[in-house]
Parts: sequence; C-alpha cells; structure tokens
Amino acid sequence: MTALFDLNDVHYAYRDTPALTGLSLAVEAGRRVALLGANGSGKSTLLRVLDGLYFPDSGTVTAFGAPLTRQALADEATAFAFRRRVGYVFQNADIQLFNPTVFDELAFGPLQLGLPRAEIRHKVEEALVRFDLAALRDRAPHRLSGGEKKRVALASVLILEPDVLLMDEPTAALDPRSAGEIIALLAALQDSGRTVITATHDLDSLAAIADLAVVLQDGRVAAQGPVADILADHALLARTRLLKPHADLR
Amino acid sequence: MGEHSFLPGHRHGGGVLDRLGEGLLAALRHGLEADDLARRPGLLQGLDPRVKLAGALALMLMAVWVRTLPVLAALLGLAAGLALVSQVPLARLMRQVWLGVLAFTGLLALPALVLVPGRVLFHLPLLSWPVTLQGLRSAAFLVGRAETSASYGLLLILCTPWPHLLKSLRLLRVPLVLVVILGMTHRYIFLLLHSAVDLVEARRSRAVGPLPPRERRRLVTGAAGELLGRALDLGGEAHLAMIARGFGGEIHLLDDFRLRTRDGAALAGLALTLVAAWWWGGR
Repeated sequence: MTALFDLNDVHYAYRDTPALTGLSLAVEAGRRVALLGANGSGKSTLLRVLDGLYFPDSGTVTAFGAPLTRQALADEATAFAFRRRVGYVFQNADIQLFNPTVFDELAFGPLQLGLPRAEIRHKVEEALVRFDLAALRDRAPHRLSGGEKKRVALASVLILEPDVLLMDEPTAALDPRSAGEIIALLAALQDSGRTVITATHDLDSLAAIADLAVVLQDGRVAAQGPVADILADHALLARTRLLKPHADLR
Repeated sequence: MGEHSFLPGHRHGGGVLDRLGEGLLAALRHGLEADDLARRPGLLQGLDPRVKLAGALALMLMAVWVRTLPVLAALLGLAAGLALVSQVPLARLMRQVWLGVLAFTGLLALPALVLVPGRVLFHLPLLSWPVTLQGLRSAAFLVGRAETSASYGLLLILCTPWPHLLKSLRLLRVPLVLVVILGMTHRYIFLLLHSAVDLVEARRSRAVGPLPPRERRRLVTGAAGELLGRALDLGGEAHLAMIARGFGGEIHLLDDFRLRTRDGAALAGLALTLVAAWWWGGR
C-alpha cells in the first residue's frame, strides 16, 4: 500500500509550548486509524497538521504524494483538490457550526467548492435524510442538542464525500446514546474505502471505529499497531496515561 | 434554559452577580422567544421573506409619506391586524414598540405643540403657552409615523427567522460579506451568551455574602476580559473550521426561496394598500 500521509520528524509549537516533537508517521490509504493519547499528547495538533491548517516548524508532511505546505495550499487549484479530498470534524461542534441553519451548514462546504447548485440541493436533501436531520433542517445550530450538533458536523463534512475523514474526539461530552449513534455512523464507514483518522480517548468503542492504533506521548509516536494488540498492552496504556478498556471490548 | 440555576432564593454573591446573570439569561430568553415566534403558524410567518421585507419597507415608506392622519392611523391599524393574525401578541408590540416610541418621539414632538403657529386650541395650565391645532397635527404625524414604521419593522423581525431575513437582505443588494458577518455574529452571540452565563454561574457558586464595590468592579472587568479572550479564540477556531471546509475568502450562499400563490396574493394586497394609501393619503 502507498502512504497517503507521510510525516517525517515533524515539530510544531504553540509559541513556547511544544505540541509535536519529532513525530514521524505514515498512514496508508483506506486504513482506519485511531490516535490515542492523554490530554496534551498532540492528537489535535497532529490532525490539524494533516488537514493543512497548521504547518510544521520543521520536518516534512506529504499528502497524496505531494508536499503539504503553506505555499502548496496557497494555490487555489491545489487547495480545492485537497479540501475536496480531506474532511475534518472538529472536537467542538459549536466551532464548526457557524451557519444560520442546519440546511445552510450542510450546503456550506459544497458551495465553497463550487459544485453546481442543483447538485448541492440534491446532496443536502440526501444528507438530511441519511443523518436523520430532516426535522432540523431550518433549526439554528445553537438550538440543537450535543448529539444533534455532532451529527450535523459529521454530515457537513461527509457531504463532500472526502477520501480522508479526520475526526477529533467525536464522542467527547456526549451522552451514551448520542455517542452510540456517532459510533454507529463511523462504523458504517468501514466499507466505504475511506481513510478515517480519529483522535479519541474512548477505548471502549475503539474496535468499532479503527483497525490500527497510534499512541502519542509528548508529541511523538510512542507505539502503533493493531487495535487489539495496543489494547492488550496494559503497561503501554498505563505509561501513556490511557484508561484500560473493558474486558469484553478487548 | 433548564441547565442554568438562576432561581429565586439561589443568591450567594450579592446583587451584581444576580443582575448580571439575570440580564444575560433575559437576553438569551428573548432571542429564543423571538425565534419561536418566527416559526409559529401565522399569516406573516407563511410568506416568502423577500415579500415580507419588500412589503415592510414599502409600508414604512408609505407611513412616512402620507399626509392625512386617518390614513396613517389606518396603516397603524393594519400593522396591529397583521400582528393579531400572525400570533404576535399586541401586548408585546405595545411593550416593545408603542410605549418606547411614544416616550421617545413624544418628547421630541412636545415643543411642536406650542411652537408651530396656528389656530389656538387651548392654553397649557400654569405656563399659559398656546397649543395650536397645527402643532397638535405635527406632533401626531411625528409620533404616528414613528409608531407605524417601528411596528412594521418589529413585525418583520418577529415573523421572519433571522437567517431568512438575512438572506432576503441580498434582495436589497446588501453586500454578501456583510450578510454573512451578520449571520455569524448572530450565531456566535448565543454561544458567547452561554459562555458568559456559565462564567457568572461558576463565580456565583463560589461567592459567599455581598461583594465590596471594588471587588464587584474587578469581577465585572475580569469577566469582560475573559469573554473577550474566549471570543478571540472562538473567532480563530471558527476561521480554521471554515478553511477546513473549503473557504478561500469568497463567501457563497444558497438562496432557496420560492414564491407561492399566497405570496402573489400578499403582493397584490400590498399593492392595493399602497395605491389606496397614496390615493387617500396624499391630500
């Protein structure tokens, strides 16, 4: 398999606070990868680097075989192609949902990417049904529940049918039922052939959403391997301050 | 609103925190009520936002133009009638428009009563200043025009979801970027209000007894600074979220309004009203 993303010795710091410290990672196309790590281990920063929102202070990032740099994304055609292929669901849905209604939220991405109006309408109507949002189409995002906001955020990204889906803590702060619905939606992506990279603390649902786990610690990769192997490595989980999974989900 | 605990009897930190919290909650409640009102089944709620915007503007202009008081009163009566058939309580119109406008423009109109020359109707007690018929007419026109225009303005806002109203502004060639900024401002104001409520609630939960004035000032300025910081963070993050979904500096909107039969009927009714007001109100 060819590497979709290839990161080599990447360093990134928020002013004086280092977030990524020599991180190297290769992600193959079609893999479902879980980024595990305690708070501050660099998961969210890594996702933003993969989405071309942050650019490393040093080191190299390659996406789809080409360097992912500020200069590369300054080119409109390159940025268009990249944004079409990579979708990012933010941890805080409130940040991602900035449009006045759910309908507008779903239409935002396709509109920015210049898809034909008729196609956008069709896609939005389809997504409203698929994500069980039809009854909420004219609602303002600030009036939705946490689970509904997350569904809208996910739908607003998946409507572009990206090759790569980046997700930051998709079940954070959700009640068990809402979290279960999001996990079910993610699990349904298994056969879509998409590359899905999910930053999560939720070890219980890890097996449903990923087949490869990458453990981050202090801004670099501490370990990586099949989910089952990582979950079985209690010493590693303890060292990286991750909770042990429940026995029946190992 | 149930997640917040600004309840009677739940008072720890003295008046300033209570007032701040209650003010923030009132703002949130007001916004949510207006949103609910715009989604009720009613005559105005069922019309295309563009028709409502054009109609409200035309009627406002007509209220400013008419030169006879009965026609002006009829236009105000029409606004009250539209409120009734659109489930907007007249008490709300009275509270939010009529009393406020009367107080404000009434003050401005008072001098006209005695300064405009004309046929003297009576003299003010004590001062003996003459109140003239022409002065009374001028004051009535000023107050009536302001009341009528403000009534149509409020009806438009209360009977149209804010996002739809913003979109229909495009009809008036309001720059797209301004429309989008207004929409995002509306969206994030609610988020910041929730943040502010949480902030005050957290502070109240730790406050014991009334605060000294200096501490109160420090608290309010501290909260304002914290909120400003959060607003800046929010702005930065929202910008990243927009970039992630393809935003490249140019905004695009999808206008999905459709004119239906009732919109045509409303436009015909509006045209008839305007012609009638022009015919009888222009003398």
